[in-house]
Amino acid sequence: MIADAPTLEAPVGAHRAALTRLLAGRADVGEALSAALARLDARWSAEETEVWASGALGLVHANAGGRCLAAYFRLSASAREQEAAALAADARGAAEVARHAGSAAALAVLEAMPAALLRLPDAGARAFWWRGLVRLAREASDGVAPLAAHAHAVLAAGGGPAFESFVAAGLRATGGSRARRTAFFALEDPAARRLLERAGGALGFEDLERRLKLFGRALWGVAPRLAGLEGAGLAPAPQRASIAGELIRLPHVYRGVPPARVPPLYRAALAHAQAHLVFGRRQKVGKIRPLQIAMTGLIEDARVEALAIRRFPGLRALWTPWHEARPGDAMTAPMLMARLARALLDPDYEDPDGFVEKGRRLFAEADGRLDDPLLSRAIGGLLGNDIGQMRLRFDLKAYVVEPLYRDDNLALWEFDEPPDERADEIEQAVDAARPTPEERDDGRPSDEAPEPEAGRARPVSADERGPVVAVYPEWDRAAGAERPGWTTVRDAPAPHGDAAALEAALQRRHGFSERIARLVKGARIGKAARLRRQPEGFDLDLDAAVDAAIALRTGDLPDERIHRASGKRARDVATVILLDISESTRDRVGGATVLEIETLAVAALARAMEAAGDAFAVRAFASCGRDDVRLFRLKDFADRFDRDAMARLAGLRSGLSTRLGAALRHAGAEVEAVRAHRKLVIALTDGEPSDIDVADPLDLVEDARRATLSLRRRGVDVFGVTLGGAPSGAVFGRANTIPVKKLEELPARVSELYFRLARL
Amino acid sequence: MTVDASAHLAAELIRDEPYYRPVGDEIDLFAAAYAGRLPVMLKGPTGCGKTRFVEHMAWRLKRPLVTVAAHEDLTAADLAGRFLLAPEGTVWHDGPLTAAVRLGAICYLDEIVEARQDTTVVIHPLTDARRALPLDKKGELVPAHPDFQLTISYNPGYQSAVKDLKESTKQRFVAIEFDYPEPAIEAEIVMREAGVAAALAGGLVDVGLRSRNLRGDGLAEGASTRMLIHAAKLVRGGAPLDAALRSAILLPITDEPDLREALAAAIAASLPEAARL
Ligand SMILES: Nc1ncnc2c1ncn2[C@@H]1O[C@H](COP(=O)(O)OP(=O)(O)OP(=O)(O)O)[C@@H](O)[C@H]1O
Ligand SMILES: [Mg+2]
Repeated sequence: MIADAPTLEAPVGAHRAALTRLLAGRADVGEALSAALARLDARWSAEETEVWASGALGLVHANAGGRCLAAYFRLSASAREQEAAALAADARGAAEVARHAGSAAALAVLEAMPAALLRLPDAGARAFWWRGLVRLAREASDGVAPLAAHAHAVLAAGGGPAFESFVAAGLRATGGSRARRTAFFALEDPAARRLLERAGGALGFEDLERRLKLFGRALWGVAPRLAGLEGAGLAPAPQRASIAGELIRLPHVYRGVPPARVPPLYRAALAHAQAHLVFGRRQKVGKIRPLQIAMTGLIEDARVEALAIRRFPGLRALWTPWHEARPGDAMTAPMLMARLARALLDPDYEDPDGFVEKGRRLFAEADGRLDDPLLSRAIGGLLGNDIGQMRLRFDLKAYVVEPLYRDDNLALWEFDEPPDERADEIEQAVDAARPTPEERDDGRPSDEAPEPEAGRARPVSADERGPVVAVYPEWDRAAGAERPGWTTVRDAPAPHGDAAALEAALQRRHGFSERIARLVKGARIGKAARLRRQPEGFDLDLDAAVDAAIALRTGDLPDERIHRASGKRARDVATVILLDISESTRDRVGGATVLEIETLAVAALARAMEAAGDAFAVRAFASCGRDDVRLFRLKDFADRFDRDAMARLAGLRSGLSTRLGAALRHAGAEVEAVRAHRKLVIALTDGEPSDIDVADPLDLVEDARRATLSLRRRGVDVFGVTLGGAPSGAVFGRANTIPVKKLEELPARVSELYFRLARL
Repeated sequence: MTVDASAHLAAELIRDEPYYRPVGDEIDLFAAAYAGRLPVMLKGPTGCGKTRFVEHMAWRLKRPLVTVAAHEDLTAADLAGRFLLAPEGTVWHDGPLTAAVRLGAICYLDEIVEARQDTTVVIHPLTDARRALPLDKKGELVPAHPDFQLTISYNPGYQSAVKDLKESTKQRFVAIEFDYPEPAIEAEIVMREAGVAAALAGGLVDVGLRSRNLRGDGLAEGASTRMLIHAAKLVRGGAPLDAALRSAILLPITDEPDLREALAAAIAASLPEAARL
């Protein structure tokens, strides 16, 4: 008996009857319905057909339209081993899609189903499919049709579960942007393709990038420049690393590698590429035959690896497991070359082949002059000839360097005229040095970002400028005196941005939230401190006790607080965080702009401060002449750091100049007004102050320095976190300048620093 | 009122030569500073031999050595001394600094930045032309013994921007810079201190270099000479190399998984056989 058989009121056959009655006169579907019923009757009992018919009725009621119904009937007729309940569920799913996304979308889905069913073997797998589609129809209906058209590719990556999570990821990644969404679900967005390639759950380049950088730097002392390698257009990601100049590009994903072997594979690839960079040199191609090009590359690979192994013996063990060629493999030129590659690396490998033996011997004889880069050309030329004489076919275009961890060796050659199809690959590699919008790591769509109010350096008429909140003096360096009332600070509206994207960017940073949580925990508990001269406690405070005893003996009134206690020192600190958002914060470092990283850092810090219960306000500033120093109030002391504050932070845009002194004076005045034992201003700035109406930036440097000194005299500690560039102690003083050279470190660093600073 | 001058100090006269492998001209410099009774600041990362150097110099100069490790809760009284109660009245008890001042010892204040600034200023009168230590509580001005000398250590690492010595404190000292010695010398030290063979010591020093490459990039400091010696001692005590490296270096140095994995891989790459970490 079938679970959702018709209810008691409806006799068996009622749904079927209703269906045929409703569609009786419809030329567009009548025929498909009869055909389906004829098929189904032959296969199913009347009860089963009834279950199916109830599903089909749902589709009719959803106004899915004739073409949809016909498609569904055809699907039902053709689906061989399908259960009635599963087909009824399909109808319900299609009805739901039609309701939210329209009948055209539902039709696209139904038409994709015959092919999709190959990857959706049972009702369970199909449930994922429909959940994904229905969610998409509800939340972003315009994505359904493009996704249906590419459903096979998505399903191929991992069946139903992968399909549903692909939808979820797509919705997350594209935020509110319709254009991006369409591109994503049509698989035109590289991010979508990357996602599919990694649907198996294996780690990809992005996941491992930081670890690889650390690994490379630990070995050679300099951090390697890395980028992910993307396939052009719809092509899958290349499977060999590629070097361009100093830049090492690694495949976004190595397909078909067991997950546990992926990290060592990336390390092997990086170590090989670094060996090229450290020990290699480019050579002119000149007149040389294809086989010799390939063989020279092979010998060069062995040469730089041998040199690297001399320095780091353990590298051999990193590389050898990837060499799998062996005697008995088919006798083709690439196979033979793979065996030679193995023989040159792995002393334990045995191969009786004459060619392999000769290669080994030549290479061994050259052992004393491995540091000569011309060696590869000499040995490679000889061996290339040998293979040629063995009459083995060789096609350079189809040739791939073996094994997997090695690079394409394009970087070895200076092509007089680069062969066409490779030329744009090289182009692309060089291009990667310039980050593309997709590489931004804040998840914000770059195409549709609203143009910011503060972002344009257009002249502002008087009434358009924000309300005046304060007027400050400025230091006149030439005159050696303050000009009173020189700068005007105005309140600028802080537009909302995409808080969710900022949140997501925060989440994406590895191990980051844990680190910050730990800091907060430390801060909350407070350092267990020995408190002296307490009215009670576990122990006598010797100094106090002695003082009291002496007082007693000399007839004075003793102070009775003679105990030591252990307790928390209360944190009593108020802080203004000041962000420089001037034009220069638009600069890109790695994949992101300075502002994006600043924003991330402040978001993390604010979170942490909020969690620790500290008083703080967040301000951003930019200026357009002395009359218009704009202050964006992202969070006031009285407010919580909530979603709105996040949104205002996410809404910041780079633009205008940096009148640091005025901003510092204002931040200082604000924090001064708060009652706290310790008062801090922490300014995040990426460079020297400047403004449109000041010819010599040094004037503003000096003014900012004066502002800092005067605040310090009034008990406000000012710290400057200076990003990138030369750390300038000029403004904040050496001890209070915290240069962060590596911008990527900023988010983690700033919070750490704050908690050290705020320690009492 | 009695003064309990430090009988225990005699014990601090170092009899046997502490092993110290000179790296540059630090011995001559220190000796010259001592001859002029100038206060000395030893700057350098943790575990690079500063403490050992002072011990060696104290032995060489035949002065007793008083060492105080500074910490956040160290008060001026902890250094200078305090009154204690005895049945018959109060007794003054010299702190280690006062004891060294009276006795003509070398006083070594380790990691002085850790102490609060109001504690640090008690050394000011000792380190300028006055060369005397005022004991306010006791109403005594203790002139420094002619042989007294003050040495402090200071790690200008990661936290210098936050915690720093007052300018007026810093400028009282002559500084001697320390760093991890060059590989050959460091290997010699590891060999000697842990009693291991040259090959192992050399390998460990290379491991140290890998970690020092990550200084400032996740690691506040790289593996110190001290850590390398610990690893060597573990191996000498029978631990397999990979386990020794793990316990003596990898685990103590960082809690960050990415960093640990990357460092482990780099270490494995620099060792002869694939030590699995
Ligand atoms: N030049 C050296 N000669 C002899 N031993 C050394 C030398 N450098 C380092 N060592 C060894 O390293 C160990 C650590 O050195 P030491 O304790 O002196 O470091 P430190 O610089 O005082 O560190 P910290 O700043 O953490 O106190 C010593 O116990 C000693 O074994
Ligand atoms: Mg190569």
